[in-house]
Amino acid sequence: MNVVTRGIKNAFRSPMRSGAIILMLAISIGLILSMLVARSSVNAKIDQVKSTAGTNITISPAGVFGFAGGGNNLTSTQVDQIVKTSHITSTTATLNDQLASTDTNLTPSLTLGNFGARQARFESNNSSSSTSNGPTSAELASRPAPTPHTTVTGTTNPNSISTNGAKLSITSGATIDGNSTAYVALLGKDLASKNNLIVGKTFTAYGKTFTVNGIYTTGNTFQDSGIIMPLATVQNLSGQPGQVSSVIAKVDSGSNVNASVNSLKSTLGNKADIVSQAQQAEDSVASLQSISSLALASVIGSAIAGAIIILLAMIMIVRERRKEIGVIKAIGGTNKKVMAQFISEALTITVVGSIIGLTLGVLVSGPMTSSLVSSSQNSSSSSQLIARTSGGPGGFIRGGFNRVGSNLTQVTSSITPQVFAISVGITLLIAIVGSAVPSWFIARISPAEVLRTE
Amino acid sequence: MLEVKNLTKSFESPSGKVTALENVNISIKTGEFASIIGKSGSGKSTLLSMLGALDTPTSGSIKVDEVDISKLSASKQTVYRAKKIGFVFQQYNLIPNLSALENVMLALEFGGMASGKRKKRAVQLLEEVGITPDEMLRRPTRLSGGQQQRVSIARALANHPSIILADEPTGNLDSKTGKMIFDMLHSLSRKENTTILAVTHDMDIAGKTDRTFTLKDGKIAV
Repeated sequence: MNVVTRGIKNAFRSPMRSGAIILMLAISIGLILSMLVARSSVNAKIDQVKSTAGTNITISPAGVFGFAGGGNNLTSTQVDQIVKTSHITSTTATLNDQLASTDTNLTPSLTLGNFGARQARFESNNSSSSTSNGPTSAELASRPAPTPHTTVTGTTNPNSISTNGAKLSITSGATIDGNSTAYVALLGKDLASKNNLIVGKTFTAYGKTFTVNGIYTTGNTFQDSGIIMPLATVQNLSGQPGQVSSVIAKVDSGSNVNASVNSLKSTLGNKADIVSQAQQAEDSVASLQSISSLALASVIGSAIAGAIIILLAMIMIVRERRKEIGVIKAIGGTNKKVMAQFISEALTITVVGSIIGLTLGVLVSGPMTSSLVSSSQNSSSSSQLIARTSGGPGGFIRGGFNRVGSNLTQVTSSITPQVFAISVGITLLIAIVGSAVPSWFIARISPAEVLRTE
Repeated sequence: MLEVKNLTKSFESPSGKVTALENVNISIKTGEFASIIGKSGSGKSTLLSMLGALDTPTSGSIKVDEVDISKLSASKQTVYRAKKIGFVFQQYNLIPNLSALENVMLALEFGGMASGKRKKRAVQLLEEVGITPDEMLRRPTRLSGGQQQRVSIARALANHPSIILADEPTGNLDSKTGKMIFDMLHSLSRKENTTILAVTHDMDIAGKTDRTFTLKDGKIAV
């Protein structure tokens, strides 16, 4: 029997006590592994979200959101400033307008419904409301029924209307040149169908005759009830030359997005609201980042707890066996041999604890990651809901971002060899701490301890 | 040959300097069975720990076969304890979770014997002190006091030591068993020509040894 086997044998000298130490150690090691898995899985998701976020910056006039709010459109000077900002490679400018029945011969394909009717209640007539909360249902009934408007989007790039960020889907005909001043238009599928218009047919708007160049579909009923025209055409005909209601600027690389946002904020001041995709992605992963920090804190806490458990256990064992250590030294056992025996004992406890702990970690890491992510996402899902329901063309761009948010809960926990290696490394560190300090105690025990009477 | 000259050991205690041993001079020939008697606190155990290189003296020399063990380095003292000294304690001090056989094999391991030879030698030693093969495989807690002390003697003899230091070897045993252990030590000193120094307060036992030293207040009383 050599020192190693004596150490292993000693580890199970008191099965109850060793069992309790091993169990505590296993729980802390299991927690280390599952928290490392949670952290690496969440970090992978954060990186994925950030890398797919894109480099677009949306600049909209301050106070304007879709067709709601106040404020002034961006002017041509401001658009020029945006275009000239360094790192911005291309821009898509958009001006939104609405056509009333007097402006066009088209019949709107959207019905107002109770939502639309409530939005339109202030515009109906001059009659004042009897309450501060708006007209009563009786007053609404006495007014002439409000009519829905047809939305016109003047844009330099018709593809920007696509709700999924891809190219606009043209079902028939061809797209239009957004930079022209021609009287051409793309009609939403629903609007075209409502007015029996096909490619090549004409309609009137702003007192001019427009040719239908193509029919598009986005899968969104509001969008499919609108018209897309070249930006300059809308600007000229609506009497808003040079003005735009939103600009999407593309930055050359992800690393320059923040610099461009800061530069735009300083040139445009409080006249515009500037939001970058990167910033939105950052905001949407904030909750995941807090999970990642929490997981790291748990890893450190568990490692310290594990080290303290084995350390205290070994100190207790060494103190209890002072006389035995004295005997071994008295009959010729060297410090090295006694230390090796106790290190072997500490390692045995740590190894058994690690095997149980790592198995436990593998089993619970999946459910633990899911539960951490889902509980944190519940609190942020309500705010995402509000963002989704905000209507109007201003919300188009945001549609893409919200899908990022809804995917956040889909964090897949996976134990990579790297995470496993880190766990084993931490465990080894625990074993070293658990052995080194008791070894120091052992070295200080005098062989004369053997003569001490108890 | 064991030769102790002017051995002094003093400690610093909260109440001042305490001299446990003062100018002790002893000389014991090889193969002699000597005993040290004295009251509690007379310095018997301190002297034994100096002779066994468990502690270092404040001054003086302890020569075993012409080597001053008090001047040895810590690692050489360990080797000295392993090869030249055999200890027999009042409390037996066997390792509790090792069998009788493993306890003797442990001393052989520290003495540097090759692992393949240890078991045979341990069995032979245990047979010599009258331990049966069944008892050899038992842990100390499952052996009687007399059996444990016999295992302890076998362990002390393992590496053919020059000196066996026995601290109250019969102190925990009934008179019959005590006498048996004493006779065993006595015959060993004759058979193996091993020097034995036993600390005891049993005057009967002391009277039967070759020489008896009396310690009083840390000094050898003449």
